[in-house]
Amino acid sequence: MAKRITMVAEIIEDKCTGCNKCVLTCPTVAITMRPRQPDEPGPGRNIAVVQKDVCYNAQNCIELCPDDAIVMRPLAEPFEVGTEPPKASAEDIGQLCMRVGLLPDMLVCVCTNTTAGDLAGAILDGSHTPEGVAIATGARTGCAEICLDPILRMLAATGHGDAPRNPRNGYQWYGIPGRLMDFVGPDGKLDAELVAAYPLMPLQKDVNAMMFNMDEA
Amino acid sequence: MAIAPMPAPELLPTWNGRNPAAVVTTRAAELDGIVTLPVRELNPWLPQPIWAPHEHLGPTDVEEVRERTRARLQQLDWSKISSGDRVNLVANPHGFALSGDAYVAMLEETAHHVESKTGAKVRLRIAESMGHIENPDWMKIFDLEARFGDAKECPQIAQGVEIDTRVGKMYLTKQLFSADHFIHTHVTEMREGYLHRMQDRLFKPFGMAYTRLETRSAYHFGYGPRTGQLVARAVFESEFIQNRYVSTVVLNTSPEGVVDVDADNDLGALDRRVATDIFRNYAVLIRLMSEVKDVTVVFDGHGNTVYSYAGGIPFDVLYYSNADWLDLDNPALYAALLPDSMRGLVGQYMMGENANIKAYVINYMANGVPYLYLIKGIPTFVSSPQVMDWLEQDPSACWIRDVAEVTNGLADAVDRGKRIAKSDNVLVYDGLPGALHVSESLARDLRAAAPRVTEDVEKVRMPKWLAQRDLPSVSLSRARHA
Repeated sequence: MAKRITMVAEIIEDKCTGCNKCVLTCPTVAITMRPRQPDEPGPGRNIAVVQKDVCYNAQNCIELCPDDAIVMRPLAEPFEVGTEPPKASAEDIGQLCMRVGLLPDMLVCVCTNTTAGDLAGAILDGSHTPEGVAIATGARTGCAEICLDPILRMLAATGHGDAPRNPRNGYQWYGIPGRLMDFVGPDGKLDAELVAAYPLMPLQKDVNAMMFNMDEA
Repeated sequence: MAIAPMPAPELLPTWNGRNPAAVVTTRAAELDGIVTLPVRELNPWLPQPIWAPHEHLGPTDVEEVRERTRARLQQLDWSKISSGDRVNLVANPHGFALSGDAYVAMLEETAHHVESKTGAKVRLRIAESMGHIENPDWMKIFDLEARFGDAKECPQIAQGVEIDTRVGKMYLTKQLFSADHFIHTHVTEMREGYLHRMQDRLFKPFGMAYTRLETRSAYHFGYGPRTGQLVARAVFESEFIQNRYVSTVVLNTSPEGVVDVDADNDLGALDRRVATDIFRNYAVLIRLMSEVKDVTVVFDGHGNTVYSYAGGIPFDVLYYSNADWLDLDNPALYAALLPDSMRGLVGQYMMGENANIKAYVINYMANGVPYLYLIKGIPTFVSSPQVMDWLEQDPSACWIRDVAEVTNGLADAVDRGKRIAKSDNVLVYDGLPGALHVSESLARDLRAAAPRVTEDVEKVRMPKWLAQRDLPSVSLSRARHA
């Protein structure tokens, strides 16, 4: 796991309206607002401020900025994050992964090559919010998409599913979606009503595949 | 079949301010030994397009698309919509990328029809796809604000809305559905077939394009290799969606362009109607990709790896061609998500990591989609320092410089790929529809394989695929809808 940070967000202050959308979407919570001073020309009362050491080149902010007030600047000296090995034991990491139905060496963040074990290690080492996991590992700062559900489920499995959104009306994450395994009983069988509702879908066989029971998949 | 060489589609300015045409001076289609192989030569039963993006393939005028859209819309029930209602016409970037002027014409006719028929206000809402894909700036290229008035792009990283579905909570992009009603639009091409497996094809945006990050992530991690589409069905069938949904309008496509326009209030009925056409128009080409051996793949257009197109089909078809994913008996797991610890046990049930891809060349490729897992272990060459800088700045590909090498131009990159492959086979993904830019050797191989693959599809595979989906039979030799 790791991410090399090659760019940093820069606010074009005389274009920034202080609309706050960048604050709401940054996965590492690297952007805040400050008041615009009387001698600072510009359209809004507030101006976005980037905390550069936790700007991980996710680029969510420039995609949401309605005023073209953010540019990404190449860094003269790129830096890397998420390179430290976890302090948590391999056994604890393995147990947490298994509790959410993942194997430790399963790739979860395909942008930063972060595995389920890497994520579990970060959480066990003290990253108890989605933004904390992003800052520790670099996950959630690439496509921002593929890795989110396993991260939220791991946080919930360690008792941190109630972490408040930051900011509280932020768009970074909402909740944990339903999944097929929610409908599987202790006997490994899927809910009969669900199976009957979608007769052309090989639902039970896919449950078997997800448990690597390929002979019955 | 005689066909004049077709150039690669031009490179367009992107939404994030890049101008690849100013950087990429040589296109792969211009290299010695690269030829234009028409898809129709391999699939002669394809219906004639009513619109094609290139005059070599069919009419480029959109009047027939407009006429058919108007005719289909006349037959639909619009009684759900009242005068003064707000109606979101929900579009997607793939429609603009693949069907361009025809897609815009279909959207325009739909907006005009609904406004004149009901007195409602129609707004264009474009569901942005994964991450920050470096798409051409469709808003400007097609002048969408001027044409539609209220037109907005709606990223999946923006505000969400939680809904209840049969399989639990799901999260959608709020702006797409902030209206009294919405109209779903689509194109039937075979992007991400390895995910939807041709089950409920037209429902797929309800499990992916119209949803937030959480839902998309669950589609990948929370469901099996054949059941991600359960998310799409559950979201579509939710009370939230059903309260707002009015109808669907689709461009029915072939690898050459648009072959029809279809529409229905009943998405399930429409899906079944176009499904047989999709099998007929794409299945042989999909299977033909499994015949590509020892190939150097060149990315040379808009789109990124799995979303790059050649001859009207995406690269994912080649990458996953080591498994027949149209066969629902096949439980193949995605290679990228298969842990190393399990490969020894279940590795034979894996799709992806096509061993016949020996080298990659990137002449230009959009940013914004994870792909390093896909080129892992395969020699990769980038044709210019500027393109390498762009690739490295991609949030999803920060390690590209460690795994790819800058060469002395495109010809050098392709030569190096061919030497590694020990083969002259080259396949170019430059977004050209209707024809493949390939090396002469690969053109020869594909021509030779086409009759055998066609027979295999028509006599062996197609009957099984269709029976698995309870679809009527399809003939490749008789006329469409025969």
